[in-house]
Amino acid sequence: MNPITNPESTTNWYLFLSCLLFSIGVMGVLFRKNALIILMCIELMLNAVNLLLVSFSAYSGNTDGQTFVFFIMVVAAAEVAVGLALMVSIYRNIGSIDIQSLNKLKW
Amino acid sequence: MNTLIYTSVLGFGLMVLEVLKLRKWISPAIILGLSLIFGINIHDWNQPGSYMGNMLEISNFTVAFNALAIFITLLIAMLASEYYSDEEHHISDYMAIMTFVLCGAQMMLGYANLVLFFIGIETLSISLYALSGSKRFDAKSNEAGFKYFLMGSFASGFLLFGIALMYGATQSFDLNKLAEYAMGTSVSPLFLTGLLLVLFALFFKVSAAPFHFWAPDVYEGAPSIITAFMSTLVKVVGFAAFYKFLHVFGYLIPVKFDWLITLVAILSLVTGNLSALAQENFKRLMAYSGISHAGYLLIGLVGAAAFPSSAILYYGLGYSLSTIGAFAIAMAVFKSTGSESISAFNGLGKKNPVLAACLTATMLGLAGIPPFAGFFGKFYIFSEAIQNGHFYLVLVGILSSMIGIYYYMKVVIAMYAKPANETKIEISLTNQLVMWLCLVLVLLIGIMPSLVTGLF
Amino acid sequence: MNNTMNLLTMITPAMMIPIFPLLGFLILSLFGKKLGLMSGWIASMAILGSFLCSINLFIGLEGDQQLNFSIFNWINSGDLQIEFGFLIDQLSLIMLLVVTGIGFLIHLYSIGYMHHDEGFTRFFSYLNLFVFFMLLLVMGNNYAVMFIGWEGVGLCSYLLIGFWFKNPDYNNAAKKAFIMNRIGDLGFLIGIFALIFHFGTLDFIDVQNQLTGFESNAPILVFITLMLFIGATGKSAQLPLYTWLPDAMAGPTPVSALIHAATMVTAGIYMICRSNLLFALAPYTLHIILIVGVATSLFAAIIGIKQNDIKKVLAYSTVSQLGLMFAAIGLGAFESSLFHVMTHAFFKALLFLGAGSVIHAMGGEQDIRKMGGLSKSIKITFVTFLIATLAISGIFPFAGFFSKDEILAKAFEHNLLAWALLSISSMITAFYMFRLLFLVFYGQFRGTEQQAKHLHESPISMTFPLMVLAILSAFGGFFGLPAVFDSTHQLNVFLAPIFNASKLVTTEVHALSHSQEWMLMGIATFAALMSIFFAFSLYIKKQQLPENDADLTGFSKIVANKFYVDEFYHKVFVNPIMIISDLLLVLVDKLIIDMVVNLTAIIVDALGRLYRLIQTGSTGFYLIAMVLSMVIVMFIQIIL
Repeated sequence: MNPITNPESTTNWYLFLSCLLFSIGVMGVLFRKNALIILMCIELMLNAVNLLLVSFSAYSGNTDGQTFVFFIMVVAAAEVAVGLALMVSIYRNIGSIDIQSLNKLKW
Repeated sequence: MNTLIYTSVLGFGLMVLEVLKLRKWISPAIILGLSLIFGINIHDWNQPGSYMGNMLEISNFTVAFNALAIFITLLIAMLASEYYSDEEHHISDYMAIMTFVLCGAQMMLGYANLVLFFIGIETLSISLYALSGSKRFDAKSNEAGFKYFLMGSFASGFLLFGIALMYGATQSFDLNKLAEYAMGTSVSPLFLTGLLLVLFALFFKVSAAPFHFWAPDVYEGAPSIITAFMSTLVKVVGFAAFYKFLHVFGYLIPVKFDWLITLVAILSLVTGNLSALAQENFKRLMAYSGISHAGYLLIGLVGAAAFPSSAILYYGLGYSLSTIGAFAIAMAVFKSTGSESISAFNGLGKKNPVLAACLTATMLGLAGIPPFAGFFGKFYIFSEAIQNGHFYLVLVGILSSMIGIYYYMKVVIAMYAKPANETKIEISLTNQLVMWLCLVLVLLIGIMPSLVTGLF
Repeated sequence: MNNTMNLLTMITPAMMIPIFPLLGFLILSLFGKKLGLMSGWIASMAILGSFLCSINLFIGLEGDQQLNFSIFNWINSGDLQIEFGFLIDQLSLIMLLVVTGIGFLIHLYSIGYMHHDEGFTRFFSYLNLFVFFMLLLVMGNNYAVMFIGWEGVGLCSYLLIGFWFKNPDYNNAAKKAFIMNRIGDLGFLIGIFALIFHFGTLDFIDVQNQLTGFESNAPILVFITLMLFIGATGKSAQLPLYTWLPDAMAGPTPVSALIHAATMVTAGIYMICRSNLLFALAPYTLHIILIVGVATSLFAAIIGIKQNDIKKVLAYSTVSQLGLMFAAIGLGAFESSLFHVMTHAFFKALLFLGAGSVIHAMGGEQDIRKMGGLSKSIKITFVTFLIATLAISGIFPFAGFFSKDEILAKAFEHNLLAWALLSISSMITAFYMFRLLFLVFYGQFRGTEQQAKHLHESPISMTFPLMVLAILSAFGGFFGLPAVFDSTHQLNVFLAPIFNASKLVTTEVHALSHSQEWMLMGIATFAALMSIFFAFSLYIKKQQLPENDADLTGFSKIVANKFYVDEFYHKVFVNPIMIISDLLLVLVDKLIIDMVVNLTAIIVDALGRLYRLIQTGSTGFYLIAMVLSMVIVMFIQIIL
């Protein structure tokens, strides 16, 4: 009755979807230059994992995965808070949030 | 269990003290609090147990590494009370966040469930992102914080993905169940991929090449005290967690991934030692030195199940104490000269022979020259590797040790052979205390390694 | 039950014995500058503390009780377990009492002797460090701890010989001592490795327990004992490695008394006695030891006749007496050897301290040709020096008589040739010691006016040790009365637990009858008296003076030049090594090694400079590199 719990093939679809989302996130982090967008892409990666966990959980009928999702959301929120704070402080210091301008520390 | 609770309480307590306008009491409170927690932790010795629905597991391994982590934090807190003395209005933040780092570390040491492992890593990391960028008006510190944040949370994404895949294969986060599954006959590729992704995240945490890129930049840009904190606590805890992880999957990982650990060990040794050669900045030098030490420890983890955890404890203790001792001196030098390059040490041998001698001792300790602890640490790792037949690894290890001596000696040469500049070096009593404590302990366990290796 | 409790309570004093001097060393080296003259007293008190603890142990341990405890597990590698532990038994007790007791007296003496020296605190900190290492040497319960002590005393000896390091000659003497000792140490080390290889342990008692299954003269035992003996020849100045000891007189006189007469140089004998069962099972080695011992004893005694430096005479006499002790070991008479170690420590320390007092009175003069007639001006020194001289010459009833007589009797039992040669060596000893005594204390004063005015008795802190040592030199022999005096040989009884096992394996020769013993004593005493008389007629009756070196001819010239051994070593070993090393320096070092090393360094450095460029500073690059490596790893994993 529940499309997720029933046929195995459906889980695979969720698996593919979350992999796709994760890859989009990774690509975004790799190739975008704006720190804000990179931050969003990291969020996308985390949410792809959330989707994955929820679908595994629903498929197996084990609720651990769904509970973990809440933890991940909390952690993600904390991460974003720290990330945004750092970004603001960078913007105040160098007037840009392009990560290519972060190159004073090298070699 | 109690240790973790009291550590968290201490962290909040420090912030409460700030609210109550008892700022003067923060440094004494953290030092006293950590000492108490150290005692509470020791009390758990030989009292294994599991808590919170088998999330957290206390064993002698956990207690010993917890003790080391608390001790490191204690030393750093002592140095920090001095380091932040001119930035009093933020001291509660720094101290509290440091305590939270310790909380994360304790979770990483005691995890019996991947959820707690993840939360531990994140508590540790997020606190450190904030601390690395804590010099708000210094562009370098900002850059370090942000780079660390970006790469760290990126790695966390992979870690999570790995955990999710392992969950998908086993329907559980519990380590025991995972181990059971891994021992079974058919292990799904889903599970192996997940395991691999978690390994990557762990490589990242201990800054092993090629996942080390964050380390030199972050170490250089972060405030010196945080550099000292990161290079010791995170590395030791990372390795303990790593060891535990390998131990849980002791039947699977050596078969499947030994080649990877070997490769990463060699790469870390080469990268750490070669790149350190040409460094001018002391903190950056220590970062590369840390990468090479990760390489040595990874040699010990090849075929991990056989390697005694006490040897990792011993290595970690020797490495941490030498590093903190070196930083206790270096921070005083940086403060007086206003420079963080190796040339800041020029002529220290003439200006302040005692400091120079102590710094030389810590450098020799890091280079692994007897009678300091670094020697036996390497000795155990190499002899274990030879017994397991990994001669080529030992060869690489010894060659890189030789290169290592060269760059550690650069600091020593700067102190004794280069002409002195005018600035006088002033070192506070706290720093001296930490320095002597580290030196005496390093010598002690260097002469009597059985004090540590005989623990368990 | 009671006994074990009793033993446990003694661990603390046993631990304290080495800790006192170590603390003394630490205090002096950390706060020495502020302490000034106090440092001498602190150092002395530290040794006194050790001495009292040793006495406590001496009283506490009864019969064959021994205290064997481990402090920590020191080296733990594979099957090899080496503990850092102490073994206190009758053998180490004797050594402990000698080292701390005489050590204390010499510390006390040094307060007076060194008080003008600018390196006062440095001197005492070295001295305390020396005692610490010496205690480790005699207390260790395995060869590794002993080796630490062994090397440590070598280091301190080096530091103290070169104490006045501004004088290059003294520095050279220190280096010579160090190198000569190193040659011996190599032997010792090989012996230790052979022990590890063959027995898998270094623990004295474990090794001894494993020896039961061995044949006499088993090749491995002969090898090990020979190597250990080579170690002993270095430290205890035997042929062919003895030449450092006379040169070591460059150090301050109390150092010569403590290190180069009473304690460190007897370490070789202690080591052999400690491994007595090992040596008893290797009669070949014992034979070699006997030959070396007798030869050294005679050789050094002959050189002693022609020396004109008061300390050099004593140094050669020390070498000669050590030869006598080794001869005793070679005869299998370990306890006689140890008896002589003890009495020799008393009278030789006294001789050196007396010599120091003379030198002090003469304002630094050491040449006996410029002394004479001192008996009037420095009475206490003279009387004590006389007692010591009588003791070393073997005149009844002074200490040296009994111990020497015991060794000679043993030699008579086993090997008549050895007995004859050792008797001759004793005669010569008596002769040159009285030559020294007569030239220094009798006749006319031959020094300068200024020195004559300067002559004075030393302060009480210097004369007190002299008197104590004089009492010991006079009566120390009664610890070991021979059988003819119809009393038990107390020292032998005390040491019996140590040497019983080796007694069983050595070939027993029937003991001497009483009449034979009386006869031997008579011969020895008569010979000594003859020598004294001869010296008397030469230097008192005829008032002869030693010729200047330039006037010497023939055999006496050769003797005065110490048989040219130093020159021989220089020509045969040092010079060729120098030439070869010069050659190697130019060819191998400069050309090949330097090039290889420098080239490697340059290449590695360049690699480093290139490699660091990977760290581009761009976060994007870092992330891509990480992801790429992950992809590659996964790819390989799939292929695998």
